[in-house]
Amino acid sequence: MTEATDLAERAGDRDPRIGLRAVSALRRLLEQLEAVQVRSARNQGWSWQEIAAELGVSRQAVHKKYGRQ
Amino acid sequence: MFERFTRDARAVVLGAVDHAERLDAETVEEQHMLLALLDREASRASFALTSLGLGGRRESVERALAEARRRGGLSRADTDALSGLGIDVAAIVSRVEEAHGEGALETPGGDGKSEGRGGGKGGGRSRGWWSGFLGGRPSFAQGAKDLLTESLRIALAQQDRHIGDEHLLLALTARPGVPAEVLADHGVTYASLRRVLYGGGEAKAG
Repeated sequence: MTEATDLAERAGDRDPRIGLRAVSALRRLLEQLEAVQVRSARNQGWSWQEIAAELGVSRQAVHKKYGRQ
Repeated sequence: MFERFTRDARAVVLGAVDHAERLDAETVEEQHMLLALLDREASRASFALTSLGLGGRRESVERALAEARRRGGLSRADTDALSGLGIDVAAIVSRVEEAHGEGALETPGGDGKSEGRGGGKGGGRSRGWWSGFLGGRPSFAQGAKDLLTESLRIALAQQDRHIGDEHLLLALTARPGVPAEVLADHGVTYASLRRVLYGGGEAKAG
């Protein structure tokens, strides 16, 4: 819990530019990680439905985003 | 806009597409523009880069760009910001690579912003399984489009009638991101470029 408080503090009272950049960088990193995991799941024979369920999104969403690869 | 591009500037744009294809990227990004700029010889940009000592350091630039790709295209400013949140990008990269192989985080598509852009079916990220049949070439990522716009803005501000490869280079250094960082690490900044290109001038970036 202290860790979370610490993080909230640091993210809170810093220069907004740094905080916003961190958010945007995190989003990019997240996209990359998602792509890696989806690719890996497909390689292991997972269906779009199964992947979507784990990601908490619709099957259409995940298929639209990665289905062409 | 392209009719205002000089021969060298056009060569950079076309060269960037070649680099994107060679690197198997889904879109043409600013890093590909930088690589194409480094290919130029006897142009305004190559003159400026040589005066700033980048002439023989092409490989060093390529290495730095490859390193950034391996981090999923995150710049050092990005990784610093994340480390402020307690996120160790290097650790994440090494774990992902352990499980999924070297270069696993390298972006097909680079900035992840190309998704859904370009409008309509097959626009933007059009490199699906069928692209081989259509001979589709990678399209321009938003960042690369913005770079072209920025180069036009810089040329106009300079009252130059054409957009040359030096304007593309200036635009790269004026925009935050991996290419500007890598160039700055090699002594090439917006200010130093303006100095060698236009002399004196205390111009500010942005």
